[in-house]
Amino acid sequence: MFQPQSAYAFYSPTKVLSGNKALENLPVELDGMNAVKPLILTTPVLSARGMEKVMESAFGDSNLTIGVFAGVPSQPDLRLIRELYGLYRDNGYDAIIALGGGPVMDTAKALNVAVSGRPEDLESLADRNPLTKKLRPLAAILNLDLSGCEMTRYASLGSLSLTSPALIPDLMIIDSRTVPAEEHKTMAATALMSMTQAVEACLHPARNPLTDAYAYGAARFIMENITNVLKNPSERKGRLALANAAFFAQTSFDNLAPGMVYELGMAISRSCQTNPGLIMGLLLPHFLLLEMRKEIATRNDLYLFIGGPEAFAGTMAEASSRKAVDRIVEILLELQSLVVDFPRSIRDLGIKKEDLEGLIVQGSAAGVRGEYDPQDIRNILEKAWETRF
Amino acid sequence: MNILREIQPSSKPVKRAYVALMLWFVGRAIEAAARVDGAVKAEFDGLSPGFTFSLGVMPQGPMMIVGKDDQGLVRYLGWNPEGQKIDLKMKVKNLEGAILMFTFQESTALATARNRLIVDGEVPAACAIVRVLDIVEVYLLPKLIAKLAVKRYPDWSFGEKIWNRVRIYAGAVLGL
Amino acid sequence: MDLPGYYEYYCGVKIIAGHDALEKIPGLLQDLHASRPMIVTDKGVAGAGLVDIVLGAVKDQLTIGAVSDDVPPDSDLRVVNRLAALYREQGCDALIAVGGGSVMDTAKGINIVVSEDADDLMKFSGAGALKRPLKPLVAVPTTAGTGSEVTLVAVVKDHERHLKMAFVSYFLLPDVSILDSRMTLSLPAAITAATGMDAMTHAVEAYYGLSKNPLSDATALAAIRLISGNLVEVTRNPADREARLAMANAAALAGMAFSNSMVGMVHTLGHATGSVCGVPHGACMAILLPYGLEYNRHKREAVMGELLFPMGGSDVFARTPKEQRVDRVIAYIRQMNQDLHDASGGRHARFFKEVLDREGKRAVARERLPDIARTALGDGSIFYNPEDLDYDDFLMVLEAAWEGVALDPDRIRK
Ligand SMILES: [Fe+2]
Repeated sequence: MFQPQSAYAFYSPTKVLSGNKALENLPVELDGMNAVKPLILTTPVLSARGMEKVMESAFGDSNLTIGVFAGVPSQPDLRLIRELYGLYRDNGYDAIIALGGGPVMDTAKALNVAVSGRPEDLESLADRNPLTKKLRPLAAILNLDLSGCEMTRYASLGSLSLTSPALIPDLMIIDSRTVPAEEHKTMAATALMSMTQAVEACLHPARNPLTDAYAYGAARFIMENITNVLKNPSERKGRLALANAAFFAQTSFDNLAPGMVYELGMAISRSCQTNPGLIMGLLLPHFLLLEMRKEIATRNDLYLFIGGPEAFAGTMAEASSRKAVDRIVEILLELQSLVVDFPRSIRDLGIKKEDLEGLIVQGSAAGVRGEYDPQDIRNILEKAWETRF
Repeated sequence: MNILREIQPSSKPVKRAYVALMLWFVGRAIEAAARVDGAVKAEFDGLSPGFTFSLGVMPQGPMMIVGKDDQGLVRYLGWNPEGQKIDLKMKVKNLEGAILMFTFQESTALATARNRLIVDGEVPAACAIVRVLDIVEVYLLPKLIAKLAVKRYPDWSFGEKIWNRVRIYAGAVLGL
Repeated sequence: MDLPGYYEYYCGVKIIAGHDALEKIPGLLQDLHASRPMIVTDKGVAGAGLVDIVLGAVKDQLTIGAVSDDVPPDSDLRVVNRLAALYREQGCDALIAVGGGSVMDTAKGINIVVSEDADDLMKFSGAGALKRPLKPLVAVPTTAGTGSEVTLVAVVKDHERHLKMAFVSYFLLPDVSILDSRMTLSLPAAITAATGMDAMTHAVEAYYGLSKNPLSDATALAAIRLISGNLVEVTRNPADREARLAMANAAALAGMAFSNSMVGMVHTLGHATGSVCGVPHGACMAILLPYGLEYNRHKREAVMGELLFPMGGSDVFARTPKEQRVDRVIAYIRQMNQDLHDASGGRHARFFKEVLDREGKRAVARERLPDIARTALGDGSIFYNPEDLDYDDFLMVLEAAWEGVALDPDRIRK
């Protein structure tokens, strides 16, 4: 772990505030970025769960005016951005707060591009023209219903996909009031997404001491907390640890090229409308077994990430990667027993055997940038289709 | 649902009043402690003549101001910073942070470690004032609570300081 | 891994590392919309040929607006203003700081003057005085230790008015830090050792300090692992490029850890010893670090024991029972000092009475220890130390560190 690569770049521009009364620090943080009138974006569901009230109370005594738009749909589009662009301009907002993951963050990132320049900049960015301006302040309030890309340079809006380091939020808030317990399946999927991102960062050929540090934090928090949180969702500290883990995992992921399990999970998810985190969870053990057989030197310390220093140091070097895989399978089985209708194989998702061919082509072409052997991809997909955990 | 709501979040009058009361109390207790406790007096003697500091809550109060007068005596100077030259400003970032401190859920050390305070002024003076606040806390709080509030509870003998404690309480409450 | 009830973490510096990281500067500046940087450095760095290496790596793709090696060992307001004027005259649009702490401080000072059009720098000291991004700043550290390439503080001294101005702002963070092995390849053994122990102290104090958090923990562990595996090695064999790069990485990682988790009593006493007796910062850190562990041990036993893993490695960690781990950690640091002492031909001091000044005389007279203890009372780093220290405690630690003996556990008040 932490061996320096001969060359790397690492960038994480987000300030983290996590824990008790973190939300109440928003006014001071906004002031530090010269912003006094934030627009909060969220979904009707989160609003109905009382999140608006929480924000109102957090800004209590701050003398600031806030705007709340609680109409972000599950599939935001350009029309919504144009509408919000008008609202932002007409009401004099100067910062965006995204309350919630997935579509809320996508909307916030896209809106930020628009309001920091012109709405046309969105199409230009989607055409891979780099942004030329620093964007307006953007704060993210994470919960446990995440897409895996909230804190990264990626955003998607309908058919547009946007990529720029400038999209990464300036601020991230994790506060127990805005990290409520979600459905078991949702929390499991979010944790497995983080797990996949962390494990693939740890096995990545371009890993560096900083991606290692973030992946290490993510893996430790997930392993120590995921089953506890599912058994006892009212356990606040565990939920906060999982939200932190999501940020750490996304940051290491963002500084490396996406891995094979991630790409395949996303591809399968598109064809069966299942949360990609669950799918990645099903693929991960098969991927690891394959990697083990390939004797990749970097895998030797995976168990340090998965099991922690005490367990890692107490294990013979030869047995260590086997232990890591066992531990991950163990967790997966535990999650399956705790989550109703957790799929047992990708076959359970309605994927037909003949669909695999298409996925193999997808995976070995654009998706994984030709880094992986199609034979490996076939191997993993077939195993994940046949084997039921 | 898709409409925009503009909200002017309300103030929190009860919490503000509580913090204001505590600040008033601590301010007057510092004045009293500087008279009766050698260590507190020594800390103030080490500060420049006329030295004044404030402890308050952002964005706008409540606040308390304490300073040395022409004779070098430590005085509680009220809550209004207007017209006062303040050398050291200690500002809690928000009302909830102040509530955590003044309900003793977070000690001064923990609040500092958690970046709840902004300190504007010379660092040596800030160090001295934090030591003063620690001593005053030990006087004002029951041992069980004070033990959580300071890193190391002093091994004062019971008799030695009990009289000081009475005088500081009297000073803070009654202005004696 | 522990999640504190509340924490904050930020390091928005882009890290570029490698044996040829300098070559990336032109592209990085282009991303920052700058094309005419001014290089700021000092005579020592320039004399060692390091600026030539930087120029060689960038000059084909970049117009250098100005180069100045005028930075004094101690940052100075007049120099800041003079160099800011040069920056303007030459129409520069970015800064490249090549050097150690003083060069970084000076470059940050220049950046405030040229970005804010400030005639009086003093107006921008204090919390929250800077409100918007400054001109692009690229940091190229030439020692592996201070971590100032990733910190948000700048200290500029006004020698005429005897003022020390401290600037703290996220906007002072460099935009990019370049960790290139060529920049430290010629560093003498004793400086390599001392600056390396400064980095070690940053990581260790961050790991057991009151503001520790998961990210400062992870970066601190990574730094300790790298320093433990490379510092003695590179002091013995200064031309080892891989070890140099590892140490540059370690210093930056430790810098991230401590700028978010802060440092404690080792720095409190180190700053004081530096200002009273002029002992270099790294030397103070190496000497005092074992005492920080000993003094705070009763409050941080478990956390300190975890340090044995990155220091000693898997086998040592597994073989050592929990209750003996802190002993091993402390012994490990002392052994490192001994090894560095040997590897530097005796120039790396193990205790204060061994520290020599430029004339070869004892730098810390025993009679000065009370002065140092008094000065320490005014240093802000004490806030983040797990246990409290008053004057007597400071003096006790200093006396032990002067002699080079362990602290008497019975004299540590709990
Ligand atoms: Fe240091």
